[in-house]
Amino acid sequence: MSFSQIVWKMAKANYRKYIFYYLCNTFAVMFFFVFSTIYFNRQVDEVKISGSIQFLLMTPGVTLVLFTIFFISYAHQIFIKQRRSEFGLFMTLGMTDRDIVKLVLLENTIIGLLSLTSGILGGTIFSRGIFFLLMHSVGIGQVAFHLSSNMFLYTTIAFAIIFLIAVGSSLYHVFTENVIANIKSSKTAAALKNNSPIIGGIGAAFIFISIIGVYLTYAYSNYGGELLFIWAIFTILGVYISLNQFISLFIEFVKRRENYYYPRMLFLTSINYKFKHLTTILTLVISLVMITILYGTLNLSIYSMEKKDVLESKPYDIAFLQTETKNNLDQETVYSIIDQEDNRIQGYQQIPVYTHYERMEDDNWLVSYSFMSIESFQELTSISYELDNNEMLYFINSEFENNEQEEYYQENAYYFADENLEFTLKEIIAGNNINYVSDSAFFIINNTDFEQLESQFDGYKSTIHQINVEDWRETDGATNKLEKNLLAYNKKTPPIMDERTEGSTEEEFFKVDSKIKAFQSIKMENGISFFVMTVLSIIFFLGSFILLYLNLFSEIESEKEKYRKLHAIGITDKEVKQAVTKEIRAIFFIPAIIGAILAFCYFISMMRDIGGVMANPGLLLYFGGITITYLLVQFIFYLYARKKIIYKLM
Amino acid sequence: MAILEANHIVKIYGDIKEDRTTQALNEISLSINKGEFIAIMGASGSGKTTLLNILSGLDKPTSGAVTIAGEKINEISRNQLALFRRQQLGFVFQDFNLLDSLTVKENMALPMILEKKSSADIDQKVQELAALFGIEDILDKYPYQISGGQQQRTAVSRALVNNPSIILADEPTGNLDSASSADIMECFETIVENLASTILLVTHDIFAASYCQKVIFIKDGMIHSSIIRESGREEFAQQIIAELSVIGGRKDVF
Ligand SMILES: Nc1ncnc2c1ncn2[C@@H]1O[C@H](COP(=O)(O)OP(=O)(O)OP(=O)(O)O)[C@@H](O)[C@H]1O
Ligand SMILES: [Mg+2]
Repeated sequence: MSFSQIVWKMAKANYRKYIFYYLCNTFAVMFFFVFSTIYFNRQVDEVKISGSIQFLLMTPGVTLVLFTIFFISYAHQIFIKQRRSEFGLFMTLGMTDRDIVKLVLLENTIIGLLSLTSGILGGTIFSRGIFFLLMHSVGIGQVAFHLSSNMFLYTTIAFAIIFLIAVGSSLYHVFTENVIANIKSSKTAAALKNNSPIIGGIGAAFIFISIIGVYLTYAYSNYGGELLFIWAIFTILGVYISLNQFISLFIEFVKRRENYYYPRMLFLTSINYKFKHLTTILTLVISLVMITILYGTLNLSIYSMEKKDVLESKPYDIAFLQTETKNNLDQETVYSIIDQEDNRIQGYQQIPVYTHYERMEDDNWLVSYSFMSIESFQELTSISYELDNNEMLYFINSEFENNEQEEYYQENAYYFADENLEFTLKEIIAGNNINYVSDSAFFIINNTDFEQLESQFDGYKSTIHQINVEDWRETDGATNKLEKNLLAYNKKTPPIMDERTEGSTEEEFFKVDSKIKAFQSIKMENGISFFVMTVLSIIFFLGSFILLYLNLFSEIESEKEKYRKLHAIGITDKEVKQAVTKEIRAIFFIPAIIGAILAFCYFISMMRDIGGVMANPGLLLYFGGITITYLLVQFIFYLYARKKIIYKLM
Repeated sequence: MAILEANHIVKIYGDIKEDRTTQALNEISLSINKGEFIAIMGASGSGKTTLLNILSGLDKPTSGAVTIAGEKINEISRNQLALFRRQQLGFVFQDFNLLDSLTVKENMALPMILEKKSSADIDQKVQELAALFGIEDILDKYPYQISGGQQQRTAVSRALVNNPSIILADEPTGNLDSASSADIMECFETIVENLASTILLVTHDIFAASYCQKVIFIKDGMIHSSIIRESGREEFAQQIIAELSVIGGRKDVF
């Protein structure tokens, strides 16, 4: 029997290890590919440019890359750990380093190529499935699945780099460790290094400081997004260090209380062993859980807050600006379009405004000053105010929370009052009473003054139309129809090319402002974010599950051996089941719970931004909902894993 | 009264449909009474470990029956057998069967822990046995950190920790120098005398076997013969040597 025949025979006997390794790599490629089908998706790309999704994709993207690096190198480590003792043996039998390099490269090239192919294939199917499912469940019809060369290219490059690094580093280990260490590498696995309470304490401190850091960042600075990343790294580092130390420290502490320790000895030692050897993986799983829960919650929170914001900032359901030549449909026509039998018009206001433009001397900036009569003002706000000639109020159309903005408007008002001496400013009033169709602040003057404005300044006359109906949710068809009619009307009149449309378009200027359209656009943008987050969560969830599961299975042989030994000493099947259950439970849920707690701390801290959790109790519900969903799904996976493992062990 | 009885035990390893079968035991019958101290000797591969495994219920015979304390093993459930093993039986495994993730002390305490004994009892018993076998200093070490002989003494201690009524020991002195061997064999002797335990041990060591009251010789999976000790140890050792040479071992054992 030649040497290569021996190698081949051993490979055949170890086919499970190869399959394990191959599957891990396939999963890694799959994750990459699924992510890239989203990242390079045309529709997502469009939204990416416009907004928040870029930020949303960034962090999970980086995490995914880090995750995959760990994932592959971990799979490689398990694979090579088993191979190392064989290599050690081969080397003592006279195999040269060159032979081993050749063998490793050959093996890995084959496995790498196979993984790449099947990963991309699997990723395509998986991704297509998710797109299909989500399009039908969430109703984001715009995001269609498609493939592009970039997706293949980046997946291949990323995988190749990580894979090569993993192979290189393990080759390095094979050659730098001595032969006996190689042979015994699997035996000394039970060796536990010394623990230091100080290092454990540093780890805990890292976590603590980073969470305080997040809190302070969000409470007192504007750099939340950027600093968050750094704090997250701190937290993860802290988790790593404390995981590595604390379980052992805890066990050492418990060991002194023998009454407590002895009955739990098997469980505790095995958890200690696992946590020590799985530190990297558990840290990774904790980070994944944390990111999944946190981002899921934030995504939902942003959605609900934006929705609230938009709807609140629009006091009327439908609004548009009308001039002599534009949007000039008479009231009857508007009524015939909007007023439906099952959705009656509740209110229709037409407010004449007069807008004057002035160009700043220093920077050529165009400033608009809009006027409204006290009569209209009263109709809008139900505030009655007596104004003499040449007296004015300044009405700022928003609920002020932000002082800077208020100052700006005040200055603006005073400036204008100074320039135009004949008006005296009586009072500034703020309130959100008008949809944003013409201007954001108005000078209120008495009716006589308003009628004479034309002779004082040049400007443009227009009318704000505001309509309320019974239920804005049912206005989609009517709004579309109104838009169409207005557009058709505007086409017939000569285009406007003056100060009003400077830096914008006529179409934009005379656009209908409606709750339903705003709502739809948030829904779509958030729908896509939601979609992306869901896919990433699924990837992360599956990834963390696969990591735990593969790990449990990679150790199944030694576990079997352990339970065989215990059985010989006289442990009953029931006790084995209990022990296994306890262990798997700990491995599945301790990281999930730690991750959830960390996510919660982050969440609470980040909410400082918007006035704290107490101000937004609904968001806590989202958090709770997502966490519980996560744990429930985890529970199902746990049951599956437990069944499989008990079956294998018995 | 026979505490342990084996009737026509046959053990065939491997799939009978295929050709690769090994007949490890061939119609072995034996009966051991309470308080007996018996050694089994035989060449390597003669089926000694197989026999012990079957007697303890760790393995199933291809045919034949084992009766322990009046109960047929094949009629007892797996769980009951496990409970029996940890309550009544002390087993010293040829490969020690220590758990790598537990310290020496924890390994020794394991049967007591499974029995949910109080920690005070456990500590006392562990200390006592550790002192007896000279392994007090390594109680907190892990199996891979100690020598083969130390592992063996740990394995013997663990077998004794629950005060078993039957001890089955597979080469309990195989890795030990004569002083340590003597410690173990003397301990066994004391147990048999004071606690009326029953001990069945497998050994290649004539010195160890000479402590026993009876030696059974196994050859090719069958009982070849047995001799009973009637006088002193040295004389008995001579008898054993003689018998071994009959079986086919070399005459010049020393
Ligand atoms: N699991 C097994 N499968 C197949 N054959 C086995 C198995 N275990 C033992 N045998 C065979 O059964 C026979 C008896 O083995 P056993 O282990 O009982 O020998 P032994 O007397 O204990 O030997 P030693 O003194 O070397 O420990 C041997 O031929 C061995 O090869
Ligand atoms: Mg044997």
